[in-house]
Amino acid sequence: MRFYLWIRDLHLYIGLFLSPFVLVFAISTLFLNHAWKPWEAAAAQTRSAQIQVPAGLAQSQGMVRLALAKQILTQLGVSGEVDFIRYLPKENRLILPVSKPGSRVTIDIELGTGRATLERRDTGIWDALVYLHRSPGPHNAMLRGNWFYMRLWRWFADGTVYLALFLSVSGVYLWAALKAERRTGLILLGAGVASFLMVIYALTV
Amino acid sequence: MPLLSEWNRKLHFYTGLYFLLFLWLFSVTGLFLNHSQWRFHQYWPQRKQTTSQHQIQPPSENADLEKAQNLMQQLGISGEVEWPATPPAPGRFDFRVAKPGRILEIKTDLAAGRATVERIDVNGWGVMTMLHTFTGVRANDPKAQRDWLATKVWSFSMDAVAVGLLFMVCSSYYMWYRLKAKRRWGWIALGLGMLSCGFFAAGLRWLDR
Repeated sequence: MRFYLWIRDLHLYIGLFLSPFVLVFAISTLFLNHAWKPWEAAAAQTRSAQIQVPAGLAQSQGMVRLALAKQILTQLGVSGEVDFIRYLPKENRLILPVSKPGSRVTIDIELGTGRATLERRDTGIWDALVYLHRSPGPHNAMLRGNWFYMRLWRWFADGTVYLALFLSVSGVYLWAALKAERRTGLILLGAGVASFLMVIYALTV
Repeated sequence: MPLLSEWNRKLHFYTGLYFLLFLWLFSVTGLFLNHSQWRFHQYWPQRKQTTSQHQIQPPSENADLEKAQNLMQQLGISGEVEWPATPPAPGRFDFRVAKPGRILEIKTDLAAGRATVERIDVNGWGVMTMLHTFTGVRANDPKAQRDWLATKVWSFSMDAVAVGLLFMVCSSYYMWYRLKAKRRWGWIALGLGMLSCGFFAAGLRWLDR
């Protein structure tokens, strides 16, 4: 009985704590599943600035290039996660998209002159949810987490999974303790498993 | 117990029980996608690649999707049609057919009536991971539309899981609030969750560091 009460309280309080994160992932799933992008209409603000191009930037690779690119961000007063770094050798230009949940800045740097053009777009809360859902993600894995707060988000994203798994297992336990609900619960559990397997079969065979 | 409260509680765990396997799949594969450096689920290096040549009748249809479906019927394949980023050279018709666990690159020489099929098969980890993102649409590609029934069913499942989770969150708030003895610690737990999640969702864009 005591174990049951502990599990019930943990399920309740962990569920309450986790609920905003579940909302983030659930709502953003609807956007991702239908390729909805209401933030595309967001207006861009452009400004220019003169910067000191760090020595060796064009020739550098990988994490060294990232570190040098971050010096440019400091000069420009821009913070966020560097999505990727694209160097255009023929034009001697560097393209640097920097993102935060709800905000994107694209920095276009003429390496010869040190002129940087910044295009900033405030993409809003829905894009923020989608961005968080997809972060850190499998693409450019070596670059991911180059901003402290996105490294921190990785821990929360992982924590959401582990706690959700706990909630599901504890939820099954709490249901199984209700004798009157076992029959209906088993029917629904069985129906869910059958639906899942049938769809997987249709997709993979 | 009042009827609304009783049915709210029942529907909360009925929904959770029905979607249990779906939730486990999306949770676990979400971890895989965020930890591509974990070796045990790295499926791409273990992929099997084969190439085959086939004689085909050049399709008479004008629309790309119908051409692709004609060729798929001739080649005996099914799946979701995807389009290459760059258009093929004149006289050629190239496209991709994907399903969780298998990717086919179809390269067709229409004049010669010949199709080359490059097939990639991945293992169970690959199937699971591909299921997480298999929607048939892409945000940056308006041409990508769901054209396979199984994709539409899977996409509907994803929507259903999302809506199911939204319902479960709302129903949990209702259940909790009815428990007076749990309100104080409940507010603390919910408040901590909202503050931490809200910091990432809404607070980070205002941060200058």
